[in-house]
Amino acid sequence: MRATVGHAPNQANRPVTGIRQQPGTPEDELARRFRAGDELALREAYDRYGRAVLHLATSTLVNRSDAEDATQATFVAAWLGRETFDPAKGSLVGWLLGIGRRKVIDRLRSAARENRVVETVRQLPEPAPAGSDPDTVVDRLVVADELARLPDEQRRMLELAFFDDLTHQQIATVTGVPLGTVKSHIRRGMASLKRRWEVDGATPGARPAGISGAR
Amino acid sequence: MQHLEHDRLVFLALGESEVDTSDRTHLDACPHCRAELESLRHVAGLGAASQELRELPDPPEHVWQGIMAEITAAKELPRLAADRPRPDPADAVTTDTPPGPRRSRRGRWSRLATTAITAVAAATVGVVGTAALLRDGTPAEPTVVASAPLAAYGSTPPAARGDARVLGTGELHLHVANLPAVPGYYEVWLINPQNMEMFSVGVLGDGSDVLLPLPPNVDLGQYSVVDVSAEQFDNNTDHSGDSLLRGSLTG
Repeated sequence: MRATVGHAPNQANRPVTGIRQQPGTPEDELARRFRAGDELALREAYDRYGRAVLHLATSTLVNRSDAEDATQATFVAAWLGRETFDPAKGSLVGWLLGIGRRKVIDRLRSAARENRVVETVRQLPEPAPAGSDPDTVVDRLVVADELARLPDEQRRMLELAFFDDLTHQQIATVTGVPLGTVKSHIRRGMASLKRRWEVDGATPGARPAGISGAR
Repeated sequence: MQHLEHDRLVFLALGESEVDTSDRTHLDACPHCRAELESLRHVAGLGAASQELRELPDPPEHVWQGIMAEITAAKELPRLAADRPRPDPADAVTTDTPPGPRRSRRGRWSRLATTAITAVAAATVGVVGTAALLRDGTPAEPTVVASAPLAAYGSTPPAARGDARVLGTGELHLHVANLPAVPGYYEVWLINPQNMEMFSVGVLGDGSDVLLPLPPNVDLGQYSVVDVSAEQFDNNTDHSGDSLLRGSLTG
């Protein structure tokens, strides 16, 4: 099987996880095979979500090789701990990002220790100058992934609202879709994003599924 | 109390409408709508910020190689450790091993071996372990002198990969997956990376695993690169130059 991620012809619309480029394997089936220990499923999961995990690491850790190391550690820990993945608690990518978040935070903490500032830091160290907050990055990736999975119409309308800052009325005009339909697409799309964020997000009140299990 | 319409909350969250007096009166009095609006606003912010995530770069190839190397090492460990006084293999896998359910560790590893049988194509354990397991019910424990994860080389599709293990028996065990189809055949080489001198170890058959004898006096410190090439039936015994997989042995 040939991995197509990263070589997709339609680069402009490539979603964060590459889901749409690989419609062949439904997500549930991939998660099942991953959990069952199929090494090809590991490769597929890496092809789909490796970019997202690397992004989490590079945007939170200053040092590039630390970020690559954290990405590697995330997939190794996920593979060795695959039995602890519970599909009922969240998606595979949400679980992977939860593990990635732990790896990143571990490295931020040990960096803080090395800098001898740990005594002054009660819980999490301040993010390094160039680094973003891991929880926010995870939340963005989760929402981006859900956006990529929405039915085409819902996604299109939400992208016009989010990225182009169009109003419902403007979206109706641009797309030729009746205003009432635009409203219902956007309402449903927003509800899906919110639900997904609540399940897989990292911000307080919505812990990533399985975060206590694998790290 | 009548809650705000959900469409209205979405409008407010997207910043399309300003909160008016009647919204404000209700929101002040209704924690439910207030929380809902707060969540929708947050999600809208995350959605708007997701635009920059659409063009994420692929991880470099060595990250995948590192993953395979660690996983292969974790898999070898219990088998190599089995006939020695135990430092517990699972503990030795480093802190990256998740705690997991508290089953017996032996159970976990033998389940891993069982998986290898049911999914031979996907398994790196390969013929050696499998054959022995079928024979006497316990995983074989070949001594591994050196091993190398093999990764797609050059323009080979990145899903192609393999693992090479030099066994204490003086054989090279090769497991490959996802090799692209070639008109000729696959040949296995050991290469000295210092001067690119090489010799052929043998050819791959139909299966995903092969066991090839090595010259008993070969210096693996010199000939440290395992290479799988695509060859033609062309009466030319030299390496075609078309390498599909490569990896460096480490002991």
